[in-house]
Amino acid sequence: MMNSLFLLLFILFGSAILSYIGHRISETLGNIIVVVGAFSASIWFFVGFETPAEFSYKIADFDALWSFSSYSWIFAALVSILSPLALLYSTSYMKGKERLGTFYFNFFLSILGMIGITMSQDFISLFIFWEIMTWSSYLIVIYLGKDVEKVGIKYMIFSAIGAYALLMGIVLINREVGSLLIEDAFAYFPQIQFSTQLLIGILLLIGFSIKSAMMPLHVWAPGAYSNSPMSYTAVFSGALSKMGIYGLGLVFIRLLSSGEFTLINEIFAWAGAITTLMATFYAIIQDDAKKLLAYSSIGQLGYIIVGVAIGTELSIMAAIYLAILHAAFKGNLFMAIGAVEKQTGSTDMTLVTGLIRKMPLTFFSTLVSIIALAAVPPLGGFVGKWMLYQSLLASEHFFLIIVIFTASTAAFLYSFKILYSLFLGQEEPEFKNIKEAPLPMLIPMILLSLFLIVTGTFPGILFEPIANGMKYLGFNDVNWNMSLLVNAWGDEVNLQHVSMYIGTIFIVAFIFISLKNRKRTRYVTTKDISTSGEIPLPHENLSFKLNFYKPFERAISPVMKKTMDSIYDEIGNGLNALFQFIRYIYSGNGQGYALYVIIFFVLLLLLKNQIFGL
Amino acid sequence: MVIADPIYYIVLPLLTAFLLPLFGKLYKPLIGIIPGFVFLFLAYMSVILMIDIRPDNPIITKIAGWTPPFGINLVFSSFSGFIASLISIMGFLIWAYSYKFKKVGFDDSLKYFILLLLVVTGSIGIVLTGDIFNLFVFLEITGISAYALTALYRGRDGAEAAFKFLLIGAFASSMILLAIILLYTQVGTLNMAEISVRMHEVDLKIKVLIFILFFVGFGIEAEMFPLNGWVPDAYSQAPGPIAAVFAGMVAKAGIYALVRIIYLMFDLEGAFHLLLIMGVITMIIAEVVALRQEALRRMLAYSSIGQMGLIMIAFSFNTEQGVFAAIFLMFNHAIIKSLLFLTTSFLVYNTKTKLISDLDGFGKKMPLVSLLFGLGAFAIVGLPPFSGFWSKLYVLIAAANQHMEVIIALILSVSVVEIIYYFKVISRLYFRKASEEIPIQKPSLNSSIVMIVLGLIIISVGVYPDLITGLIENATTSLLNKDLYIEKILPGLAEIIN
Amino acid sequence: MQDFLTYGIYGTAIFLMLLGVYAVLVKRNLIKIVIGLSILDSGLHLLFVAIGFISGGTAPIFSPMAIESANKMVDPVPQALVLTAIVIGFGVTAVALALVIRLYRHHNTINIDEIKNLKW
Repeated sequence: MMNSLFLLLFILFGSAILSYIGHRISETLGNIIVVVGAFSASIWFFVGFETPAEFSYKIADFDALWSFSSYSWIFAALVSILSPLALLYSTSYMKGKERLGTFYFNFFLSILGMIGITMSQDFISLFIFWEIMTWSSYLIVIYLGKDVEKVGIKYMIFSAIGAYALLMGIVLINREVGSLLIEDAFAYFPQIQFSTQLLIGILLLIGFSIKSAMMPLHVWAPGAYSNSPMSYTAVFSGALSKMGIYGLGLVFIRLLSSGEFTLINEIFAWAGAITTLMATFYAIIQDDAKKLLAYSSIGQLGYIIVGVAIGTELSIMAAIYLAILHAAFKGNLFMAIGAVEKQTGSTDMTLVTGLIRKMPLTFFSTLVSIIALAAVPPLGGFVGKWMLYQSLLASEHFFLIIVIFTASTAAFLYSFKILYSLFLGQEEPEFKNIKEAPLPMLIPMILLSLFLIVTGTFPGILFEPIANGMKYLGFNDVNWNMSLLVNAWGDEVNLQHVSMYIGTIFIVAFIFISLKNRKRTRYVTTKDISTSGEIPLPHENLSFKLNFYKPFERAISPVMKKTMDSIYDEIGNGLNALFQFIRYIYSGNGQGYALYVIIFFVLLLLLKNQIFGL
Repeated sequence: MVIADPIYYIVLPLLTAFLLPLFGKLYKPLIGIIPGFVFLFLAYMSVILMIDIRPDNPIITKIAGWTPPFGINLVFSSFSGFIASLISIMGFLIWAYSYKFKKVGFDDSLKYFILLLLVVTGSIGIVLTGDIFNLFVFLEITGISAYALTALYRGRDGAEAAFKFLLIGAFASSMILLAIILLYTQVGTLNMAEISVRMHEVDLKIKVLIFILFFVGFGIEAEMFPLNGWVPDAYSQAPGPIAAVFAGMVAKAGIYALVRIIYLMFDLEGAFHLLLIMGVITMIIAEVVALRQEALRRMLAYSSIGQMGLIMIAFSFNTEQGVFAAIFLMFNHAIIKSLLFLTTSFLVYNTKTKLISDLDGFGKKMPLVSLLFGLGAFAIVGLPPFSGFWSKLYVLIAAANQHMEVIIALILSVSVVEIIYYFKVISRLYFRKASEEIPIQKPSLNSSIVMIVLGLIIISVGVYPDLITGLIENATTSLLNKDLYIEKILPGLAEIIN
Repeated sequence: MQDFLTYGIYGTAIFLMLLGVYAVLVKRNLIKIVIGLSILDSGLHLLFVAIGFISGGTAPIFSPMAIESANKMVDPVPQALVLTAIVIGFGVTAVALALVIRLYRHHNTINIDEIKNLKW
């Protein structure tokens, strides 16, 4: 009998290989294998684990242990829910593309990597899975062949920096603890010298926070998110970035738990908050829906980082809750934008317009996700934000609240922009024959929307596993109820009622407004505008969505002038010039090389007293 | 009953090399087939010998019945045996890859096989010999055949590369010879074990001088900066499989000699510091220069230097873990870099300039070769689950245990650079449209098999490193246990002298 | 007188080596560089022979005549080794000259400064 954990990885790996082979034979066969493989892995994950499974082995003299903790289970579940949906979506989204075998091979490998990360209870297998996840996602990021050099290399550089920071932390832990089991590390960590603790902590945090796109290490993310096929971005932004959050949670709560590291917590909380604010600003000024969502992802991850970094019971709970929700709504949004892209061929918000009547279901799922994203009741985003604000208030981070609240409000702007530009507004004649997205794309979107609605109204469904996970992190008595939450001051807050009241007000207002304006609606086209005597040329983009937020852009332009991106570019250029200079050492002159030999020899002779201590 | 004796490593290829023209006279294809049998036998013998070898029972062959320290002896210990086996197996694979090399005619293939046999003889000789002068002779055999191999192709700038190689190589051999002379005046023996025992009699200043001479001399073969000017030229101009020979054998023999000198003969603490410093400098400079290369082969050559730097760093820790990591790296580098060079030779086969930018879209045109190149690239930058990851991990662990955080950070930063330039190539191979029609060279069956075998080794060691760690552990013990080495070669001598 | 001879030999050897190095590093002509290498080798060989030499020593053969003066025998090992070294040096020179011919055919020059196709 094969170990159930091993079997899970085996299913994923087998699906990777089989879908590669299948796609070599025919696309239909490949797609069937992809869907069957994805769902069977997922079903096995939720059904196959009756008892806590464990798989321990020794590799190259390191003890390794696989098992899901109640904390990592949350993240594994997140992957297991999102990835089969994304793969189902993908079968239709990627129809007719080249080299699908490779695409799905890497897709499955990165799912395997994520599942592996969550099941690793030792650093060595965690790192191995981490790297598998990284390179497989890299291969997908550059899969479409767009901006390979810029985006792909940037992603790889930052991933490598993150991974190697992680690796350095891991080898230092190995030295200090003498074991790579995560539990051992937690147990013996407080006994390590303080400076080493600090070093290890910072290294691990850098490693994990790069994957969750924290400023100033986020620059890879916008390109990578918007460049990979949307079906993968749903998983990339929804689940893969959460692996960083998973690690941050482990490090902040379990490893740096001695209370001497509050400064680090503060720094990361602030970094997270600034990430949120800046990314939101960037999202607002984007004209490409994909880019907008990419920045929005970074922003949302910022909230989660704040929650994790604050490290109180409520904030962690908020962070995990937001992480799950973000996976659902951002996955859903990327899928919806992907559907728009698939049907119209563009995601430029100044071009695509008026799709609400053509793609109502896509609109519906976008709407639901946007509501969740913008933290409007009755959907779950509200609950998460509520908890986050409460935890910040309780831990007296008043300035942080201001920053986050600003960002949160600004998030309305881009949420509205994406909804309005793509789906509302005039209908363009060129989009006359657009049809609703095909069924395999719609089903995942609808399912995710339903998930959002249900968990938003009954957040308790999610609180149960989260509370279990909190136990692993050391918070043993988390107060939760199906709809009841106890805030930091001990007051009971009935979130469900709050949600319902606001929801009711919303619905009443909606009905009232639509009834009132029923008569006054009329359909207009782009050309149906007054042009003050000028006759617009056919190719002129008359969309009012150009410069949608012009005043706002002007207002925030001072802070956006010097981007992190350009700083990195400058560093990169400087290094390149330096490397080019170093290259001239190899002058090509044979005599020169011989001279180097002699010079080296003489130098050694001169320095022999220093080197050999004569 | 198989006759397995280390002496055959030397005798057989040497003899075959000299007889090969005669075989060629008899029947032309024999010049390709006979070396194959020789390499196959050597590889087979390596397996036979390695099964029984343990750190405490090295095989010692006395040449011509002269007992050490008077005669020359070959020592097949766990360490030297491991490297010798690696070289002979690589020799067989490279033969199998190239035995039907079509680009050259009969004369040139004859030269090619003779020189290949000689270079293998020389490299294995350097590794196995227990006599310092003998080591010099083997170094020269390796050197001369390597110069000639570099210049094998007339169409390229091989002669230029070979001349530079020769110029630096001649300096190296002069320095080593001078060191041997000085050493001989001091200890009156050439046997490495006895030198080791008598070393403490030598005046420290002279000892350091001798050491520096050796260090510079072997540093050239070991591709140490700034002695490695020949490397990119020779690697890029030599025939493809020969670049693999350089990376897999010559450089390995060079670093082996360096390590033997440092670990066995000289008990200088400063030697390890020096090796560490030079290793770091070598690694950093080579990797950053590799980043700016336009030609694929040169890039690989610089990457190879960088790896040698890393090996030096690992050896310089002078701990069990460090040596273990270093030997693991030597193994990995031999396998992976050979795979990279072998695949590269097909990738750039039909381009005149051999630039990286010529490779656009080759992933589609040559799926197998590109895939294997990608595999090699993934492995060499140390991505799991491929074999390169484990050796890099062990280096880092060894460094961490020596409390060298800065070194770890440097190694990892350089690895980022490494990732950048390898992934640039991969993204060109797979994610660019083929710009113009460059005709492809279909890999022949035998070379495909060789490349696949190398790829399989990389994957299987990567997934299950325990396949090889046992052997490496034995090798480590054998290298670090200097007294055992001396005692086995010269029983009782240490007591007599001390 | 004998001291002078001994030092003379050592001095000559070192002088030859330095001369060789000088030629290799400074001369631009490929042939001269090869000659320089050869001179460098000669110096080394001379040094090697010189260290085995004992002034007034006998051949290292155990003949009845030499039995009493066993400790005055010259050391045979350097002589044996130097033969090997000479052969090797010869081999290197031969390869080097062959390469020079090839270089001349390829570049039409034997000035090392002009042979720099491979660089950086």
